[in-house]
Amino acid sequence: MAAPLTLLLVVAVTIRAALYRSSLAEVIAERVEVVSPITAWKRVIEGLALLDLGVSPYSGDVFHETPLVIYLFHFLVDYAEITFMLADVISAIALYLAVKEYNKQVVRKKQKFALEADRYPQDCLELIRSPKEMLYIPLKVAMFYLLNPFTILSCVAKSTCGLNNAVISLFILTTIKGNALLSAVFLCLATYQSIYPLTLCAPAMLYLMQRQYIPVNYRRASFWWFVVQYLFMYLGSLFVLICLSFFLLGSWDYLPSVYGFILSVPDLTPNIGLFWYFFAEMFEHFRLFFLCVFQINVFFYTVPLSIKLKDHPVFLMFMQLAVISIFKSYPTVGDIALYMALLPVWSHLHRFLRNIFLVSCVLLACSVLFPVLWHLWIYAGSANSNFYYAITLLFNVAQILLVSDYFYAFLRREHHLIHGLYLKKKDGSEATLVLK
Amino acid sequence: MLAAIIMLIFICFCVHFQNTAGQFFSSGHTNNWAVLVCTSRFWFNYRHVANTLSVYRSVKRLGIPDSHIVLMLADDMACNHRNPKPATVFSHRNMELNVYGDDVEVDYRGYEVTVENFLRVLTGRLPPSTPRSKRLLSDDRSNILIYLTGHGGNGFLKFQDSEEISNVELADAFEQMWQKRRYNELLFIIDTCQGASMYERFYSPNIMALASSQVGEDSLSHQPDLAIGVHLMDRYTFYLLEFLEDIHPASKSNMNDLFKVCPKSQCVSTPGHRTDLFLRDPGSVLITDFFGSVRKVEITMEQPYLLKVQEKTYSYVDQLPVSEIIHQKPKQKDWHPPDGFILGLWTLILLVFFKTYGIKHLKHIF
Repeated sequence: MAAPLTLLLVVAVTIRAALYRSSLAEVIAERVEVVSPITAWKRVIEGLALLDLGVSPYSGDVFHETPLVIYLFHFLVDYAEITFMLADVISAIALYLAVKEYNKQVVRKKQKFALEADRYPQDCLELIRSPKEMLYIPLKVAMFYLLNPFTILSCVAKSTCGLNNAVISLFILTTIKGNALLSAVFLCLATYQSIYPLTLCAPAMLYLMQRQYIPVNYRRASFWWFVVQYLFMYLGSLFVLICLSFFLLGSWDYLPSVYGFILSVPDLTPNIGLFWYFFAEMFEHFRLFFLCVFQINVFFYTVPLSIKLKDHPVFLMFMQLAVISIFKSYPTVGDIALYMALLPVWSHLHRFLRNIFLVSCVLLACSVLFPVLWHLWIYAGSANSNFYYAITLLFNVAQILLVSDYFYAFLRREHHLIHGLYLKKKDGSEATLVLK
Repeated sequence: MLAAIIMLIFICFCVHFQNTAGQFFSSGHTNNWAVLVCTSRFWFNYRHVANTLSVYRSVKRLGIPDSHIVLMLADDMACNHRNPKPATVFSHRNMELNVYGDDVEVDYRGYEVTVENFLRVLTGRLPPSTPRSKRLLSDDRSNILIYLTGHGGNGFLKFQDSEEISNVELADAFEQMWQKRRYNELLFIIDTCQGASMYERFYSPNIMALASSQVGEDSLSHQPDLAIGVHLMDRYTFYLLEFLEDIHPASKSNMNDLFKVCPKSQCVSTPGHRTDLFLRDPGSVLITDFFGSVRKVEITMEQPYLLKVQEKTYSYVDQLPVSEIIHQKPKQKDWHPPDGFILGLWTLILLVFFKTYGIKHLKHIF
C-alpha cells in the first residue's frame, strides 16, 4: 500500500502547489466559506505583525488563534505553504494508518470471533465484510481527504483548519492504536485549538476501554477508574498547555480572545454555519439565551449517542466529528472535509442508505450556489442575506441528512446481524423494517 | 498703546499680588464672551431674530467686541422679501429702534445654525479649517453669556424646524466646557416656551440660568407692528432690553435686579432663575460681569520689576551630530518567544515521547 499512497501524496501536493502558484490563491483566501475569523491566514499574519510591533496580538478583534499557533508560525511564516501541505499530508497518513488499524483490530477480529462463536444468523453472511474488499479502504480514505475539493480549497487558502484537522487525525490514529496517553494529549491539543473536540472524549474513552477489555458498565469500579485516569491525563495536559500559553506572551488575554470568541460569537460574518443569521437578527435581550441554546446543541448529542453506540466507538467518533462540523460556531469547508474523509470506512452500508442521491445532489448544488449567491448579495445587490442563508441552511440540512442516514444504515446493519437479513414476522410472512 | 498699558498691569499684578489682585480680579474673570443663538427661521419668527439682535446690541454697546461674540441667526429677516423695510429689524413698535444696524456681524447664518454647530462651538470641537470668528475661544477665565431663543418645549429647544436640542445635551455640553476649563462663569438666558426645563439638568459649577417661563407655561410675544405685520419681540426680552438700556459700562447693578426683570404682571409667564450652581452670591455679581466687557486699567508711577529670565546656554559642541539626530528611530526589535516557553514545550514533548515509547525502545525506532 505504500506505493499507491506515495503516488497519491505526490498528486495531492502537486495540485496544491499548482494552485498556490496561480492567481486563485488570493481569491480563495478571501472566500468566507473557506476561511472564518478564527482560521484566516490574513489574521495570523496580522497577529504576528502586531507582535513584532510590541503590541499584544489579542488587542482588538483581529487575532483569534491560540498562542501555540503564534509559536509555530513565528518560525514558519516564510514556509507557510509547505506547512499547510505537510499538515494535509500528515492528516492523510494518520487517517490511512488509523483506518488500517481499525480494519485489522476491530472489524476483522470482531468478525472472526463472532463467526467462530457462531453468533451470526445464517442468512446475513453477505453482510460480513471480507478482507479483500477492505483492502483498499485506507487508501480510499486518504484519497477522499487529500483530493476533496474542500480540503484543497482550505489548504490553498492557508486556513489553520488544516492544522486542526491534522491534530484531530493524529488523535484518531493514536486512539485506534490504543495509546491512551497520546490520545489524551492530542485530544487536549485539539480542544485547546477549538473547544468543540471536547465531545470526542466519550468515543475515545469507550474505544480505549473496549480495547483494554474493561466492561462499559457504570456500576463497575474499573470503568470509573479508567475514566478518572483518562480525564486526569486529558485535563492535566490541558492545564499544562494553558499555563504554557500564558508563559508565551506573559498574559491571560488569549483566553477571552480565543475561547470567549468561539463561545460568545461576536463576529457575525456570514459563513456556512447556522449562527450568523440568527444572531444578526436577534434582539440583545435574548442573545444570551440563544447563545446557550446553540452552544448546548453541539454538546448535547454526546451522551445519547454514546449510550446508543457504546459498542461502536469509532462510528461514534465519526458522528461526533460530523456534529461538531455542522453545529460549531464558525464552520468552514475544511471541517466538513475531515468527516467526509471517513465515509469510505462505512461504504459497506451502501445497501441500507436511503437518501444518498438526494444528499449528494444537494451538497453539490449548494457548494456551487454559495459563491453565486454571495456575488448576487454583496456585489450585484439583487439578492439579500436571506438567499445566502437559505443555501447555508440547505447545505447543513443535507449534511445532517447524510449523517443521520449513515446512522440509520449502521444501526440497521447491526440489527440484521443479530436478527438475520430476511426478517420474518411471527407467522412467517416477510416483515419490513420501519424507522420510528 | 492700550496693549502696553495692559502688559504693565499684568507685570504689576505678578509683583504686587497680595495688594491689588484681590480687588482687581474680584470676579475672577479676565475676558467676556457671548454666544447668542436664534434657533428659528421663516418670516413669522421675526421676533426671535429681533430678540437675539437686541441682546447683541446691548452686549456690544456694553463693551464686548464682535471678535468675542458668536452670533447664530437664520438671518433671513432683514433681506426677506416680505420685509417692508429691507435691511432693518425693529424691536419696538413704530420702528423706533433698528437693532440690525450697520455693523452687525453674524457668524453662523442660515442653515449653519444647527444643533451640531452649536454644540461644537460650545465645546470647541471644530474642524481645523473653522475661522476664528466662528470659534468660541474662551479660557478658564472667561465669563460667557449664552442666550437662546426660539420655540421650545418641556426639555427641548427646536432648531430651525428640523431638529432639537435637549436639556440633557446642553447640560453635558456645559460639563464638557467645565472639564475643558472653557469658562469661569456662565450666564444662561433662554427665552422660549417652558424655558425653565432647559436649565433643570445643569450640573456643572458656576452656571447661573434665567428663563422666561416655567415648565407648563408659554412665553408670549409682545406687540405686533401693523406695518411689518408680525410680532416684533417677545415679552421677556423686550423688558430685558429695556432694563439693559439703563445699564452703562460702569454701572453697579447686580443680578438680583436682573431676576426682577419682567414680573408676572408684564410677562404673562413667570420668569425663573437658577443660582444653586453658582458659587458667588448673585447679589455680588455685576450685570457688566456678563453683559459687558470692562477692562480695568490701573495707572502706576512705580517702576515695575521684571523677573530674571534664566538663559539656557547651548554650546555647539554639546549637540549630537546631525546624522544621529535624523536617524533617531527606535530599532525594530522582533518578538521572540521566551526561552522558558521553548524549553518547557520541548521538555514536555520529549517527556510524552519517552513515556509513550520508552527509552529502551529507542533503538527500534531509529
